[in-house]
Amino acid sequence: MSLTLANASVRLRDGDRSFRLEVPGLTLAPGEAVALAGPSGSGKTLLLELLGLLRAPAGGRYVLTQDGAERDLAALWRAGSRSPELASMRGRTFGFVPQTGGLMPFLTVEENVRLPQEIADRRDPAHARDLIERLGIAAVAQQRPAQLSIGQRQRTAVARALSHRPAFVIADEPTAALDPESADGVLTLLLETAKQGGSGLILSSHDLPRVERFGLARRRLEVTSGAEVFSRLEEAPC
Amino acid sequence: MLILRLALRDLLRDRFFLLCNMAVMVGVLVPLLVLFGVKNGVYSALIGDMLADPANLQIDTSGNATLTPEDLEPLKDIPGIAFLTPRVRSQFDFVNVREPDGRRLRQALLIPTGQGDPTLPDGAALAEGEVAVSAQLADQLELTEGAELQLITQAEDRPKQLVLPVRVGLILPATRASGRAVLAPFELLDTVEAFYDSYSLPDYGIEGTKDLADRAQTYAGARLYVSRLEDLATVQTAVEDALGIGTTAKTREVASLLGLGQKLNLALAGTAILAAIGLSAALVLGFWTEVARKRTTLAGLALLGLPARRIALFPVVQAALTAAGGLALSFALYLVAARAADHLFGGGLPGGAALAILSPAQVLAVSLAVMALVLCAAGAAAWSALRLDPASILREGG
Repeated sequence: MSLTLANASVRLRDGDRSFRLEVPGLTLAPGEAVALAGPSGSGKTLLLELLGLLRAPAGGRYVLTQDGAERDLAALWRAGSRSPELASMRGRTFGFVPQTGGLMPFLTVEENVRLPQEIADRRDPAHARDLIERLGIAAVAQQRPAQLSIGQRQRTAVARALSHRPAFVIADEPTAALDPESADGVLTLLLETAKQGGSGLILSSHDLPRVERFGLARRRLEVTSGAEVFSRLEEAPC
Repeated sequence: MLILRLALRDLLRDRFFLLCNMAVMVGVLVPLLVLFGVKNGVYSALIGDMLADPANLQIDTSGNATLTPEDLEPLKDIPGIAFLTPRVRSQFDFVNVREPDGRRLRQALLIPTGQGDPTLPDGAALAEGEVAVSAQLADQLELTEGAELQLITQAEDRPKQLVLPVRVGLILPATRASGRAVLAPFELLDTVEAFYDSYSLPDYGIEGTKDLADRAQTYAGARLYVSRLEDLATVQTAVEDALGIGTTAKTREVASLLGLGQKLNLALAGTAILAAIGLSAALVLGFWTEVARKRTTLAGLALLGLPARRIALFPVVQAALTAAGGLALSFALYLVAARAADHLFGGGLPGGAALAILSPAQVLAVSLAVMALVLCAAGAAAWSALRLDPASILREGG
């Protein structure tokens, strides 16, 4: 199974300002971990949105290859951004780790972790409990997000992203809100757990030293400023 | 269903906002329910009071006319008539009443009756040879049901009295027949009239100047009852048109009460419409604000793959649960207010009737109307939820 995004682009306009992102090629396989690097405003989050079926590509090709068969993910947008098929594919294929958790405030840690399993109809309470144990949040499993530290919330978000065994995990600046020590701990757990679960991981980070320290393959977004801000994903890992 | 469970969990966590929205509903609904209940209670007490006296449903032709059976025939086709009987001339409808061996004699009004007469208790019927007597007459002659009676009439120029033996089939309560009255089949009154008209009545030992076989059947008028107070005026007009003679009925009093009911209904409807507009505005804004406040939560559910249409149900489910809670609380407070009102002011109503009344059908109608209003108000919030962008969780952070 692999994700392939090729010759895709997306353009954003905000008044007189214009931003264009181009992706000549990006492939992600299960078990692989890739870090998107680039300065603020380079379109890292926009690229993650493209990959996570949260934004429609303006052109190019976006496919999911499984057992030799290709599924055209870009075509899912033709039924509209609110189509159930698009939402279902997003939920079943991806796990998300937002910058600051994005947890449901009215559910406990354990219920939050099990929520993607229910949405994707892949109920596996034992796997959820195993993730909670591995991520060191068993002691707070029955507490709600408001009672947790930021680090505990991010670890809960990691467990939630992996609980329904998605093929790919998308993490947007998952350690940005954490202190350095907690950031290392969460990143270690994210990488280890994703690898153990066989999920492909793509994360964005502006913290290049940490990305290098963890030995992640990096893909860089190069930004050119002009009448239109233009960002392009470099062809090869750096 | 997952979305229902999630909506409920979120609603219970945000109990303060739930109570705020319920309080808005209760603040509008309880005064309206009390007004509605009191209107029902007072109006139904007045209507009940009016219906308790069948005279309010009665239409009588005026004076003494000469009507043939053919003249009365068209009246049977007038809708709304519960009971119809011919009448004899008014000067012949008094008789003396006594028990066969009794010494006490009382004069009483002789009134024609028959099956369907609302003066008689519901479903009651008189058997052959039976009459109904008013409570006052029964009391004065110490009559019980089954007692034998004699109805005696004496014409000035006749040497012999007409004595009609009858049996008491029913004793009517005072609310049904006032004064001293005997209710008997029309044929009995017709016999009395024939006696006064000097016809021979060999069955009763009366020898007159005319042969009963030569008597042409005519009536002095008709007495009829309508089924519903609302039909009184219409039926009265139709009867007058059909017979070409005047009638008497308590049309003005009935119309006045019915008009009062309509005016109360209009006033209540106007108040309810104004309240509904205010409640709708408050709920639309309330639910809309809730979705705006929970934008991150709802977008988070979309990010996890929950389809937009199911997420749109989130505020609708919460609105329905809020409405159910608001309705339950409103009806509970209404009951408390109704009891208090009964305790304070209920003694003034006839028969100790409840001051505030809501029928189960009215409770259901109010509940459905409020639920429909709330769900419409929640529609705006659902539309807002439908348009949430799940990517906002990544762009703006959770």
